[in-house]
Amino acid sequence: MSVPDVPARSAGVIHDLGFRHYDGPRLGRRQVVRALFVESTRGAYGLGRSTRSKIMPFLLLAAVTLPALVVAVVLNVTGTASLGIGYAAYPISVLPLLSLYVAGQAPALVSRDLRFRVVTLYFSRPLRREDYVRAKLAALACATAVLTCLPVLVLYAGALLAQLPFWAQTRAAAVGLLGCLLLSMLLAGIALVIAAVTPRRGLGVAAVITVLVMLTAVQGILQALGQDQGNAGLEHWSGLLSPFTLVSGLQRWAFDAPLEDLPDPPGALGGWVYLAVALAVLAGSYALLVLRSRRVSVS
Amino acid sequence: MTTIEVEAVSRWFGNVVAVNDVTMRIGPGVTGLLGPNGAGKSTLLNMVGGFLPPSTGTVALDGRPTWRDEQIYRGVGLVPEREGMYEALSGAELVLANARLHGLPDARGAARRAIDAVEMSAAADRPLSTYSKGMKQRIKMATALVHDPAVLLLDEPFNGMDPRQRMQLMDLLSQLGEQGRTVLFSSHILEEVEQIAGSIQVMVAGRHAASGDFREIRRLMTERPHQYVVRSSDDRALAAAVIAGGSAFGVELRADPAGGGALHVQAADVGRFSHALPVLAAQHGVRLFEVAPEDESLESVFAYLVER
Amino acid sequence: MTVITTRGLTKRYGPVTALDDLSVDLAPGVVGLVGANGAGKSTLIKILLGLLPPTSGTVEVLGLDAVAEGEAVRARVGYMPEHDCLPADVSATELVVHMARISGLPPTAARERTADVLRHVGLYEERYRLIGGYSTGMRQRVKLAQALVHDPDLVLLDEPTNGLDPAGRDDMLGLVRRIGADFGISVLVTSHLLGELERVCDAVVVVDGGRLLRSSSTADATAQRSVLAVEVDARTGELAAALRAAGLQVDGDRVLEVALRGAGPADEPAYDLVRDAVAHLGIGLLRMERRRHSISELFRPAEEAPGVRA
Repeated sequence: MSVPDVPARSAGVIHDLGFRHYDGPRLGRRQVVRALFVESTRGAYGLGRSTRSKIMPFLLLAAVTLPALVVAVVLNVTGTASLGIGYAAYPISVLPLLSLYVAGQAPALVSRDLRFRVVTLYFSRPLRREDYVRAKLAALACATAVLTCLPVLVLYAGALLAQLPFWAQTRAAAVGLLGCLLLSMLLAGIALVIAAVTPRRGLGVAAVITVLVMLTAVQGILQALGQDQGNAGLEHWSGLLSPFTLVSGLQRWAFDAPLEDLPDPPGALGGWVYLAVALAVLAGSYALLVLRSRRVSVS
Repeated sequence: MTTIEVEAVSRWFGNVVAVNDVTMRIGPGVTGLLGPNGAGKSTLLNMVGGFLPPSTGTVALDGRPTWRDEQIYRGVGLVPEREGMYEALSGAELVLANARLHGLPDARGAARRAIDAVEMSAAADRPLSTYSKGMKQRIKMATALVHDPAVLLLDEPFNGMDPRQRMQLMDLLSQLGEQGRTVLFSSHILEEVEQIAGSIQVMVAGRHAASGDFREIRRLMTERPHQYVVRSSDDRALAAAVIAGGSAFGVELRADPAGGGALHVQAADVGRFSHALPVLAAQHGVRLFEVAPEDESLESVFAYLVER
Repeated sequence: MTVITTRGLTKRYGPVTALDDLSVDLAPGVVGLVGANGAGKSTLIKILLGLLPPTSGTVEVLGLDAVAEGEAVRARVGYMPEHDCLPADVSATELVVHMARISGLPPTAARERTADVLRHVGLYEERYRLIGGYSTGMRQRVKLAQALVHDPDLVLLDEPTNGLDPAGRDDMLGLVRRIGADFGISVLVTSHLLGELERVCDAVVVVDGGRLLRSSSTADATAQRSVLAVEVDARTGELAAALRAAGLQVDGDRVLEVALRGAGPADEPAYDLVRDAVAHLGIGLLRMERRRHSISELFRPAEEAPGVRA
């Protein structure tokens, strides 16, 4: 529509800022679950959240790794022939710190969602309850795995630098890492179930810590009692009570890991029982979490 | 017949002044206490019920201060907003317990009458845990009515009720008002208040903003021109006549979204305009179809009061 | 073309029947659902979202079978719950972006649409603050934003004005209206407040005790009646007498109710008669308007309510 005799002026435009519809791609279930998983894992270290939520995780990460660093440095400086501490034994030595971590992060991952019924917003979307549980479990397990594996890797690096025998160290480190992974999964499962049933976040932290400390204490007492009374059964079955000793027991049975002070699955079946219990705990945590998520009503 | 007298009452909690120098008088009939969230309505109701003392000023029923006077409870029934009920009891048991607590001579009879008044006789023997929100509200009312109080205080009584339950409760409150009781209820849902409150008390941020019949209040708001909408057979001619006559200072011809058009008039003086309009219309042979004030609703009055 | 269709929808929990043989067709636009008590309403929502199978009957949402294709339904529907469901330790932006991702939006689209939708619902600088510090009005807006961010074809708004004061209520109702009219998204809104529904909805479905009581367009439910309400500032009695003398049927006290013949406005003598009588008496005409039906009448038996399908 040109008007020939009118001098050209720059045309004014008003853009439409109304609601825009979305015709772009919509990602499928797998990617959605992965997005939830990634976000939850990052959240377990306070990434993508406030600065305050980064303090504890990173502090604990430093606290857990520092001794390993020291050992690695000392090893290289003094030139001794072996690491003072075995890869498999390391998690137990920092047991309290690991417990603190899962106790702090599990409630952050689920109590809030369940208590504030944020899950309503999740479940009214194409996200299944099972998907939600899997993503949260995997997230806490991975986050804890970082905490448990990093020191092991630091020790391993130190050992290699100190030129300790390669294959022996690698094998031992591999056993240690496997144990760390299993331990992370067990801790994640136990902590999430407890957090999912405690109504408040503060209570959740306390409950997880209490349970883990209690399990460790009882296991220790029974083990000591067994040793005192010469009751090998008591001493070695006691390992089933705490996730830490469950894992170390499996490492002793399957790989002969050097964990002399810790329970050893007795008899021919002991190892299989330990394995069964570990799997039961994993499966049980998953099932309980799914059950708990079903109890939240969407409307 | 009881009158609630609130005299220069303030109530603060630390630095938060919930009620700020409020004076009002509430007589028999149904009165609505209105205000935005946080205006101090609950605090005021609690003071009238004797559950909270004023920081300054007096709250009295027929001249007797409400604070620390157990006798007051004989004549006052309070229906609070929060739930807090004993879920294991049945409705009938709860009302009966209240009747006994009041020391009524015929507790059973009083309880039965109260339950009938709220139309809960059928469900009264079921445990409270099986009640819907509306039913719980009605049982709460029965406990507040069991001692036949002259004054009934209700804090957001219609919260969460569906329309049928609400209509039942409104009928009940209207009845109680007609019986001569003093019924004061707080709400911020104007359409409820409009239907049963004979007069309203408006609170805004702790201050007493207005009281009376809301139409009267509107007429008192003289600094705000009245808006009228007029539909006629010849809006233009009418507009010209109204302006020429001087009874309005603004007219606007607006197309209706539904089709047709209407004349919107701004008049400073309601009396003058309402007298002039039919006369002018008749003179100019214009048929009037609709003459309605546009901003006389409780909603509009309320919005104005809150803005001040 | 209906947005939601149910046929004989029934849901029982043991002895309790939450929904009883409910058959409705909801057209696009803004539809109000009123009257359902707690159990019935929450059950219906769960069924519509494909989260609960009915005891019997069928339900179709946006052309999909909600029972068999629940996930597909949830991908195209937005839901604004009535209850609290917001975490306190994240900001509105973070929450809505996260929910957009869970709805399947890629990261960039999630961020951009979040920014846009927060503007539409009226959250500006507040969007960067933690939700824990929000007022009720702001929380409702966040809930609405997360329901809209993934561009659903239908949104379920459960009592969106709950807890809001009159000004907030107004804003929210305006938003609901815009969603239906401007955004081109169908809306099912539940409310207990009939006045709200009259203002905002194109149609209203009344459910009582799990059964369908009435379903009607708002226009029909609020149609004009053949009664003219007349309010004057003085001498009301004399006006009534004068109108009766002129042959009109007049009832009422402070506000007179004049019966109309029901013919078109051009053939109706009442208007001029009232005008002239008022002018003659020298009184002020405060109000003259045709009464309308209201949705509350739908709660009464069918014979009394106008033009509705039972």
